[in-house]
Amino acid sequence: MTRFIERHPAWALIALIAVALLLWLILAVWPPGLEEAIGRKRVFLNAVLNGITLGALYFLVASGFTLIFGLMRNVNLAHGSLYLFGGYVGYAISVWTGSWILGFIIAFVAVALVGIVLQIAVFRRMEGQDLRQTMVTIGLSIVFADLMLWAFGGDFYQIQTPSWLIGPVELPLVTAVKSSGEAVYLRYPLVRLVIFVAAIVIGIVMWLALNRTRVGMMVRAGVDDRDMLAATGVPIQLVFVAVFALGAGLAGIAGVVGGTFQSISPGEDTRFLLASLVVVIVGGMGSIPGAALGAVIIGLAEQLGSVYIPTYAIVVTFLIMVLVLALRPQGLLARR
Amino acid sequence: MDSTTPRFSAVAAGAALELRGVTRLFGALAALTDVTITVRPGERRAVLGSNGAGKTTLFNCVTGDFPPSSGTIRFFGEDITHFPPYERIRRGLRRTYQISALFPGLTVRDNVYLACRGVSRGRFSPLRPGTNDALMSAAETLIQAVHLMPVREQRVSELAHGQQRQLEIALALAGAPRFILFDEPAAGLSPTERRELIEILTSLPAHIGYIIIEHDMDVALRVVESVTMMHNGRVFKEGLPHEIEADPEVQELYLGAGHE
Amino acid sequence: MSLVQGAHPQTSQPPAAQRATFMTLPEFNTPAAWLAAVILVIMPLIANGFFLIEIFATTLILGTIALSLMFLAGYGGMVSLMQLTVAGFAAYMVAVFGMSANTNISLGWPWWLATPTALLLATVFGTLGGALAVRTEGIYTIMITLAIGAAFYYFTNQNWPIFGGHTGINTVATPKFWGVDWRADIPFYYVTLGVAAFCYFAVQYVSRAPFGLALQGVRDNPRRMAALGFNVNAHRVAAYAFAAFIAALGGVLQVWNYRQISPGSVSVGACIDILIIAVVGGITRPVGPYIGAFIFVILRTFALDLLVKFGLDGNRFRLLIGLGFLAIVFWSSDGVIGLWERWRRHTAAPEKRAARGHGHG
Repeated sequence: MTRFIERHPAWALIALIAVALLLWLILAVWPPGLEEAIGRKRVFLNAVLNGITLGALYFLVASGFTLIFGLMRNVNLAHGSLYLFGGYVGYAISVWTGSWILGFIIAFVAVALVGIVLQIAVFRRMEGQDLRQTMVTIGLSIVFADLMLWAFGGDFYQIQTPSWLIGPVELPLVTAVKSSGEAVYLRYPLVRLVIFVAAIVIGIVMWLALNRTRVGMMVRAGVDDRDMLAATGVPIQLVFVAVFALGAGLAGIAGVVGGTFQSISPGEDTRFLLASLVVVIVGGMGSIPGAALGAVIIGLAEQLGSVYIPTYAIVVTFLIMVLVLALRPQGLLARR
Repeated sequence: MDSTTPRFSAVAAGAALELRGVTRLFGALAALTDVTITVRPGERRAVLGSNGAGKTTLFNCVTGDFPPSSGTIRFFGEDITHFPPYERIRRGLRRTYQISALFPGLTVRDNVYLACRGVSRGRFSPLRPGTNDALMSAAETLIQAVHLMPVREQRVSELAHGQQRQLEIALALAGAPRFILFDEPAAGLSPTERRELIEILTSLPAHIGYIIIEHDMDVALRVVESVTMMHNGRVFKEGLPHEIEADPEVQELYLGAGHE
Repeated sequence: MSLVQGAHPQTSQPPAAQRATFMTLPEFNTPAAWLAAVILVIMPLIANGFFLIEIFATTLILGTIALSLMFLAGYGGMVSLMQLTVAGFAAYMVAVFGMSANTNISLGWPWWLATPTALLLATVFGTLGGALAVRTEGIYTIMITLAIGAAFYYFTNQNWPIFGGHTGINTVATPKFWGVDWRADIPFYYVTLGVAAFCYFAVQYVSRAPFGLALQGVRDNPRRMAALGFNVNAHRVAAYAFAAFIAALGGVLQVWNYRQISPGSVSVGACIDILIIAVVGGITRPVGPYIGAFIFVILRTFALDLLVKFGLDGNRFRLLIGLGFLAIVFWSSDGVIGLWERWRRHTAAPEKRAARGHGHG
């Protein structure tokens, strides 16, 4: 961080001003002129919170994607299918058992198992041929999409939020001040906040696991130099399988989250694959903090865009990607 | 640019290659530290040094594959420090690679033709070369010069190691080179092939200078007039071949102790 | 990048033969090629309207779009998933600048003005996308071009003023001049055949010209190309421009064929279909995409009947395509052409040993 500021003082200043401005917009009571210019503060706050929580969901999907890429140089274009599969499994389990939490656990395990099978049966057989592996993932995504369409049909499914998470909570964020001088506080769905916190916890645990444990060190060493990792006698295949299982499992969990936030249906696989692609292009391939930063940026851009410039919202997301590619093609937080 | 006639006019102007305080860092590691070298036009020089002395990094800095972290590089008086590699090549700089860097999917002729095309106009030409294409015949001449006529229609991937090394040299001779960097051209060659290599190097037109990295002292000292010794990324000693050979410090460092 | 670099074109062909026909077209000297050409030319005598348009014209259009991908991937080592997007962009531009039922969108220009405009804009679009994609290398290309394709798809869905939202632009006018309705079955077939032949020979020709050779050099060893005096990225962007023009031609034909364009035609699935077509056909030479397109169109048209006949659900066409694609990727690095050649070599092996140097496929 300090190195970044030393190297790029201008960019650091711009980023600082942007963050300060955002914080002011979130925390301050808006002057009347501003409300007239860009609308109610409540709308803005909702868009920001939706953006950040959507970013949490994107992070769950993209972190698995970036982890798998980082270690195995495999652009897993079937990652969206894993997400969708997780969503369907979570839905089926939560309907069957009535337990939302159990839906998460089973979805994680089931999708991780799919990941293990894929790693062993497919990717291990074409190691080092990254383009061919990517082609295979494209084929798999088509097959999975059609199998899931076969099994679940074209309907929309929504996973029931458990009763203890239903309903909004009041946040200590002032949206407006009534004429009586009484402050109006923002009310926001509890479940989204819980998911947001959970995503942060997962992110921190992953970061700690990668940076503070022996296995994590091995994985990171493998990201930097696979040959070296192999040369140290580490059971690299086992590491590969474990990372693939974890990455896939995260996509599965994300599917349940997505099914709770929004809904799951055919086509969502592509949507979340695209989100993952853009997130890791922006954040930097193979970097977990990069995935987090990219996810929040894209989530915010999408939600703010759809509120303030609805017919060109996707353009904002796309322009962010273009800007990053033009200025820092390796992504914001990539080490390269 | 199309012409293959040597540009003698340039020879008169100062140094061919001038490095001033060139430093190259890889992360915290300094591969080159404050290297200052001046080579006259037409001068032939060997760069010696053990592995890791920074010889190939020196080449990479000069050609722009890895530009220097600091310092300046001048080529016939022009500051090329921040030029992209292709701009340097178009000004008459050439190099060969330690590990052959060829186009395995293309034929020998197409390889050489590409090299000729790269330093002339029409790089983007969508028109096929005709039978009397000037660059095609220039390519044929080069192929002949490096004794590859019999295999000119073969894919590079089918060539023997020695032939690939010769092709590597042919690529560096395309167009109108003014200065060439040879990175261990004799590596892995048989004694016969080495003799051929020496013959090719000594028969180069006098205005073409070069720097050669070579471990084989028999080859190196026979084809150069001056020597630069490098050690740990720095210039350690400069002099005439016999001076360097006789220098006790050099002998201790390299000739005696350092059997790479 | 093994899929592209591992298999070099015309490996079975002795180099001498290749060079002897330097000025001619090396792929066009077999009886099979001539037979195929003759059949294509007299097709309207053989096939009725349905087969002529739904099978053969569609094959030629999809094949041309896939050809632009083959050019980038096979010669340049850049697997671009946005080639259909470029084609779709051209199709949209034809609809926007030309005439259609959406009079609030279409500007109503005559076809001879709208079509070149669309081609130009689509080429610029593809070139800019390429300029973006070459910022990174290798496997990243797939990701960036897919992101561009997907962004365009979602954009066309969202945007009503220019792209007509999710219903798209309908009843697009097609050219009529010299007393001929060029969208009538037989004239339209010849238009597509002409365009496809032009693109095929253009790619074939350019691949042996300095531009194409240098592109293959960039594919094999970009660093060395820079050390030979080539501006590698400029070369890559130029390749994207060339490919974009070919894709745009395919896109214009497509909008004339269906007379409408909507986001469904530029969906991510459709982008991937183009990759499948190119890879299944064979990505190392220009004829591959057309073979791939033919297989794809035949499957798409008849899979339903076939699947039902075998007592399966007729809606499982995508499953069939996906599995077929997986099989090809698993077993051949050069699509069905590669498989076919391997089979020919296998069956002709004893003969070939006797007459070495003459037996190429």
